[in-house]
Amino acid sequence: MSLRAATGAVFRREMQLFARRKSDWANPIVFFLIVCSLFPFAVGSESEKLKLIGIGVIFVGALLASMLSLPRLFEEDARDGSLELMLASSEPLAVLILARITALSLGLGAALTVATPVFALFYALPFDVAGMLALSVALAVPTLLLIGAIAAALLVSARGGAILTAVLVLPLTIPTLIFGAGAALRVLNGQSPVAELALQGAFLLLALALCPLAAAAALKISTD
Amino acid sequence: MARTEQQSNDKFAGRWFWRYAAPAAFYPLAGKIEKIGWVLAVVLAAIGLYMGFFVAPTDATQGEVYRVIFIHVPAAWMTMVIYLAMAFWAGTGLVLGTRLSFMMSHALAPTGAIMAVVALWTGSLWGRPTWGTYWVWDARITSTLILFFLYVGYMALSAAFDDKKKGDRASALIALVGAINVPIIYFSVKWWTTLHQGSSVRPGSSSMATTMLWAMLIMTFAFWAYCVAAAMHRLRTQIIEREAGAAWLDGATK
Amino acid sequence: MNWESWSAFWDMGGRGFFVWGSYGALLIAVVAELLSLRSARKAAIRSLHDDHETL
Repeated sequence: MSLRAATGAVFRREMQLFARRKSDWANPIVFFLIVCSLFPFAVGSESEKLKLIGIGVIFVGALLASMLSLPRLFEEDARDGSLELMLASSEPLAVLILARITALSLGLGAALTVATPVFALFYALPFDVAGMLALSVALAVPTLLLIGAIAAALLVSARGGAILTAVLVLPLTIPTLIFGAGAALRVLNGQSPVAELALQGAFLLLALALCPLAAAAALKISTD
Repeated sequence: MARTEQQSNDKFAGRWFWRYAAPAAFYPLAGKIEKIGWVLAVVLAAIGLYMGFFVAPTDATQGEVYRVIFIHVPAAWMTMVIYLAMAFWAGTGLVLGTRLSFMMSHALAPTGAIMAVVALWTGSLWGRPTWGTYWVWDARITSTLILFFLYVGYMALSAAFDDKKKGDRASALIALVGAINVPIIYFSVKWWTTLHQGSSVRPGSSSMATTMLWAMLIMTFAFWAYCVAAAMHRLRTQIIEREAGAAWLDGATK
Repeated sequence: MNWESWSAFWDMGGRGFFVWGSYGALLIAVVAELLSLRSARKAAIRSLHDDHETL
């Protein structure tokens, strides 16, 4: 089987699983919704106050929702044995991992991106800000999943999964958070978000280049 | 690229540095380094503190509170230096497969985390009278906080594996990932702070008296010696734990 | 000499809380680390020699 066929097969399998198991994308969305609706209770319901925190809350909510989907990347496959097959394949592991992350990014990213402008209504954000926030989330989810894949791969065979994933991954997501929320903040202040978007794009490309290799090394370590 | 320790041994056997990759050979050397470290730390700290409190004059703008920087700046530097050293040994361990390199990384991490806490604590106590606030989201402060998170993550990950060898390699990988990310985080936060807040509270670039600089420099070497000694002590403890059963250990620990 | 008396030294120009709060925290951190180093070493040596006796 050629590399192309193998990559395509991994990608298609992921997409089919995603379409079949609704909980994989429904649960992160519901989680996202609940997180976004909690903050007004704590902060107060005046729309001026909500506008100030809205961008940050929605972006962090999307970040946490993608974090919750990380165990999906390798954990179930480790249990049912399909991870062994992937490791035994003669194709480069990093490419196969990239195919899986791409599939998850498309599925989860699309779901979170669609949900974002709707949640922006909770926070009285104008439409142009909501649109920019959706674009930011769309750019950020793949970056977050790429970084998170390293931790997810390391933790396949370790104790204390979810919380440790968060401890390892969240500090590394700060640049994405700064520029992702920053782009929407620029629009809110009537400025151009081009620089923030460009930097987000740069982070995505950097993550695309480095993270699959690191995740492949991590997977080899943890399944050794 | 990544070798096992045996393969590295075949390649490097007989070279001078390779001799000390064996825990049995490094154990006594680490003991000597540790002793020198403790002595230097005590002597230098005594000189540095004397200079800091009794020779260095009162700062014209900050008053007496500036004397906190004699421990704050060294702690902040050690936070960074130890992380670099930790990542260096983690990388060495991943490439050469040497178990002593991983142990070195593990030995450094707790001291690095303590230095981060000391730097943040003293920094906020210094900031309150100087800047008027305990905490500022400044790039250096924020990066130190994130370094603390990275230390904690590293230690938590290495403890999360039942198989110690796996924990070694996994935590070494995360140390390297963190090392690549630290500069990115630093410059991101720097950009972010210039974006969000005016420069109302900035550390002033006031000129320091020579005696102040000397006191700070001497204290930095004292911290350095302390960290080396603490790391060597922890390393020797780890060698005892992990090499249990080796005949040479019996004599060494009697 | 910087200080006229010991009380002036402890007062630190009215900033004693901040200065001694910092140095005190460092002292606590260092003492805590030294104690943990010692107890870890003791535990390691004890388990080492215990293992040998059971062999």
